[in-house]
Amino acid sequence: MKRLIKLRVNDKDYELAVEPNQTLVDVLRYTLGLTGTKKGCEVGDCGSCTVIMDGKPVNSCLVLAVQANGRVIRTIEGVEADTGLHPLQVSFVDKGAVQCGFCTPGMVLSAQSLLERNPKPNEAEIRTAISGNLCRCTGYQKIVEAIHDCSEKMTR
Amino acid sequence: MLLPKFDYHEPATLGEACQVMGDLGQKTKALAGGTDLIVNMKKKILSPACLVYLGRIKEMKKIDSSNGLFKIGAGLTAAEVAEMEEIKNNYSALSRGASCLGSPLIRNLATIAGNLVSARPAADFPPPLMAYGARVVLKSSSGERVVSLDDFFKGPGQTLIAPEEILTEIVLDKLRPFSGAGYIKLGTRQTLEISLVNVAAFVSLDGPDGVIKTARIVLGAVGPVPLRAPSGEKALIGEKPSEALLAKAGEAAAFDSKPIDDYRGSAEYRRAMVDVLTRRALNEAINAARSNLN
Repeated sequence: MKRLIKLRVNDKDYELAVEPNQTLVDVLRYTLGLTGTKKGCEVGDCGSCTVIMDGKPVNSCLVLAVQANGRVIRTIEGVEADTGLHPLQVSFVDKGAVQCGFCTPGMVLSAQSLLERNPKPNEAEIRTAISGNLCRCTGYQKIVEAIHDCSEKMTR
Repeated sequence: MLLPKFDYHEPATLGEACQVMGDLGQKTKALAGGTDLIVNMKKKILSPACLVYLGRIKEMKKIDSSNGLFKIGAGLTAAEVAEMEEIKNNYSALSRGASCLGSPLIRNLATIAGNLVSARPAADFPPPLMAYGARVVLKSSSGERVVSLDDFFKGPGQTLIAPEEILTEIVLDKLRPFSGAGYIKLGTRQTLEISLVNVAAFVSLDGPDGVIKTARIVLGAVGPVPLRAPSGEKALIGEKPSEALLAKAGEAAAFDSKPIDDYRGSAEYRRAMVDVLTRRALNEAINAARSNLN
């Protein structure tokens, strides 16, 4: 039986009827059309489905939509401001941290969550923060550089 | 990957949760962080008819320090346990275990209760908790019982929790002066790693330069359940810490372990690593004990 849930996604309120066996990632992608959140392994290993739920990055493939009822969600679509790309996204572009782009939404959200908690992380802290997000293209170095670059610009 | 269909309940209190678990019977599973359960349901290894989500129960997210005990709500996530100041300062090996589990994304979901009830032989919470002598509280609508973690695990994925019971709380003794623990996890990478071997050790000293009064060594991933190493522990009692003593305890612990060959590593390698990691975990424990003046 469907249940009514309330979600606040990227500062917009939604009321949705969902089946208990629908995951958050499926509701974001297929019900709300927010396809920036990717589906990779679907078992919590790859991090491509990362979203920020109540301020914390989580694998949205492991969260039931009903579990997210009443919670605040940020997806990659909520990172960009009206004024353009978020500084973190600019750094990703500038440093060549995007290749195929599949891991990028998750990487950006994990990085953003890190910088919110710790505006001046060291390299080890950056690598730990993105350690649940797999990238098969860049070898991570450019992603680490991009996060470091953004941190420097934002704390200058 | 689609999830099988199931009914879903979301109790707001522990009393309500016990009631629901009792009424629904065998085909029901408690859902905590979901990082094991949802994966197993997607893979069709498990297909419970009903899920009871425990994440809204505030009583399961508290810590309480009174009457010489330290009680940890079993609904706390690994990230919350890893970051809690009281745990970092007093139970550093537990904080370490919590911060080794899965990935940052997993740690924001996975709970202590889930990690214990899943009962994977290589799990990160059982060794440090057993080293600190933890008990778990199992609640149902007909009452509650307190069980030592030493007796809780029965085999891979098997524990003595009954289908209608909920693991609500972890109970630790307040640390006495000059006691402390260490935890070391060995894997081939840093994140999302299932331990090849993990070892936790606890010691209690008779003073800063005194002899070892109590010792507990817990070995993970080298048996069907996390194992205590009785001969390793026995070698330490009444002795002053020294490199030679730790070597003797490491060797004895390796003898106590029951590793198997699998694709992650050979039994022989694992046994050798039990020896090395036991020495190192004991060293950490002794340093922690010496600096714990409480």
